[in-house]
Amino acid sequence: MIFLSHNLRAGWRAWPTALCAVTFSLFVATALLYISERKEQALLSESVTTSGWVAYQAQLEYVKTDDALKRAALRPDAEALADVGLRLEILRSRLPLLYGSEDGRMLPEIDALTPVLQRFEIVLDGMIDAMPALESGSAPKEPILKAWSSALAPLGRELQSVLMASVAYNNNLFERERSLSEQPTLVPLALLFLSGSTLIILMLTRARRDREHLRAVEAARRAVTEMERNLRGVVQAAPSAMLVVDPAERAVRFINPAAAEMVHPSLDHPDWTRLIDTSLEEVQIGDDGGMILRIAFAKSGGDVVSLRGSLCPVMWEGRPQMLMVLIDNSRTRDADLQLIQAAKLATLGEMATAIAHELNQPLAVIRMAVANAHRHLDAADAREAVAAKLDRVTTQVNRAKRIIDQVRRYGRQPSGKAATFALRPTLELAAGFVAEQYRACGIRLALQLDVPADLAILGDRDLLEHVIVNLLINARDAFEQRAMARPRTVWLRARLHDQKVLVEVEDMAGGISEEVMAHLFEPFSTTKPAGAGAGLGLSLARSVVRDMNGHIVAENMRNGACITLLLPVARTPATREAA
Amino acid sequence: MSEDQSILICDDEADLAGELGEFFSACGWRTIVHLGAPDALEALHAGAAPTCLLTDLRVGHFSGAELVAATRRLPAHLQPRVYCLMTGHVLDTSEAKDFGVDLLYVKPIDPDMVLNDIQKFLDGA
Ligand SMILES: Nc1ncnc2c1ncn2[C@@H]1O[C@H](COP(=O)(O)OP(=O)(O)OP(=O)(O)O)[C@@H](O)[C@H]1O
Ligand SMILES: [Mg+2]
Repeated sequence: MIFLSHNLRAGWRAWPTALCAVTFSLFVATALLYISERKEQALLSESVTTSGWVAYQAQLEYVKTDDALKRAALRPDAEALADVGLRLEILRSRLPLLYGSEDGRMLPEIDALTPVLQRFEIVLDGMIDAMPALESGSAPKEPILKAWSSALAPLGRELQSVLMASVAYNNNLFERERSLSEQPTLVPLALLFLSGSTLIILMLTRARRDREHLRAVEAARRAVTEMERNLRGVVQAAPSAMLVVDPAERAVRFINPAAAEMVHPSLDHPDWTRLIDTSLEEVQIGDDGGMILRIAFAKSGGDVVSLRGSLCPVMWEGRPQMLMVLIDNSRTRDADLQLIQAAKLATLGEMATAIAHELNQPLAVIRMAVANAHRHLDAADAREAVAAKLDRVTTQVNRAKRIIDQVRRYGRQPSGKAATFALRPTLELAAGFVAEQYRACGIRLALQLDVPADLAILGDRDLLEHVIVNLLINARDAFEQRAMARPRTVWLRARLHDQKVLVEVEDMAGGISEEVMAHLFEPFSTTKPAGAGAGLGLSLARSVVRDMNGHIVAENMRNGACITLLLPVARTPATREAA
Repeated sequence: MSEDQSILICDDEADLAGELGEFFSACGWRTIVHLGAPDALEALHAGAAPTCLLTDLRVGHFSGAELVAATRRLPAHLQPRVYCLMTGHVLDTSEAKDFGVDLLYVKPIDPDMVLNDIQKFLDGA
């Protein structure tokens, strides 16, 4: 199909050239034809004139001779007889011209006439020879001259017929000549007309194509203008802040009302330069190759806003610039953080019993150690024994403190600030947080953290800990729902993969059902009884992971569920503040 | 009075089990300490026949309640005379009989009170 249309297009392009060639050859042909016909016509008219002339001369001479004979017969004086002699000689000289000359040979049926003419030549020779005797003789001349006239009469008829035939032939020839003289103008005219027409067609085609081309160009220009107008309209009306930035000059070229409201209505305000600098510094490349912005921007008034958006190259007023689209997501972020906080507090609420139990353990040890220490006080070796008991008490107090710290850290309001932090200790803290519950449920928590202890990632550490805790609690809950599932093991793994770090939580608790899987990351999708789960854990996990420029996926494998986080490794270990 | 009295303690928290053992020993009890229910049950099967069985409610996969139930199925001469259960959980309405035991305590326990209760139970029985 494409090949065909390509051929058609090529043919269309070749066709003016072909028309040109045809026109040119038609012109040349016309010229050649005209010249050759002109030549033929000249030749023909010349030959017609001369051959007719020869016949006419001969006939004229015969008439003159006959006339001289008849006049001499009436008055045979010397002058008349001399005239007869002269005429006879001239006539005699004319006859060979009829068949012997170039012109004479063109006469029609001259070949058949030649013997007749030659016979008359002999007759004429006889007469010419007899002339002197006739002139000088005394015999009556009149009968002789009359006899000669009669003898030459057939020659006169023959010559007349030759002349007539010649005239007829010439007429014929003239006809032909006329038709020829008409024809040559007809054919070249036709050819001229043809070539003219092709030329006109050629010019028309060209003109049409040029017009079409012009129309297309105009349409394209109109479309571009309209598009530019539409783009400006869209940019103006967009609720998000949009600005066109000249990255080389670090200057803003255009802002829409939303941008004016967000930063400053004047393009010269120094806040714009600050915003451009921060954006260019913090720009990240997304998975699709696009430029992503996620920045915290301190307005002149002191407010810090969290901005998200993108950067893309555009042509603006004929120059390559950057279009920056920004959304102030401080509020969404605040709402998200509040939701996360609520979810965390809910988790803590659910865990209150487990936490109390966990705290009671060290307290029980302490209580017993204190009781035993009291007994030792009376004994002789009291010092050492009591000191040992006090050590045990200290250990247990520290244990209780750790538990309380964990709870406090977990319950902390998330800051929403991104910073680089070490991944491994965060995973260990999350694991420690659920350790007691796992023990209570008889679930083994296997840690396989194959990443350097200082491997850093960028994000909010507390939020990531919450995400991991939720995954571990989900796995525990799955085991609780399927008491028979074995082995009761949950793996928490971390390993490097392609400049990213993979964090997996895998269990063997039967996996996630298909209908739950379809809405797994949607908020409020839960299979847990009211009060036990809000269905927010995974939806918040997704938003946290997305904020970290990562991915979260869930799949069922080996008779269990596996949730995988793919997180980018932070480039610099130095802490830097972002959105 | 407690010369011939013995107690089998089962708790997976080694420190606690140790302190409990030390306390009862100091009070003149023969003490057997186990950190897991299966071990404890084995000892009971083998004829440990303690006067008292003191177990934590949550001791690994095999819970203290299960240990109590299994012990109750032993022949009468192998059974303890008094069953005590400890738990770290905050119990709102649960009672000793809900777990099939004679005495129920929430950690941290007051050992003197526990000892007292056991004595009273044995005296009353
Ligand atoms: N490891 C798992 N195995 C089986 N099902 C799971 C697993 N993890 C999650 N699910 C299913 O996905 C649902 C959603 O999990 P999510 O963490 O989002 O919410 P939740 O645990 O129900 O409530 P919340 O986390 O807010 O307390 C769960 O109710 C459960 O049905
Ligand atoms: Mg959950």
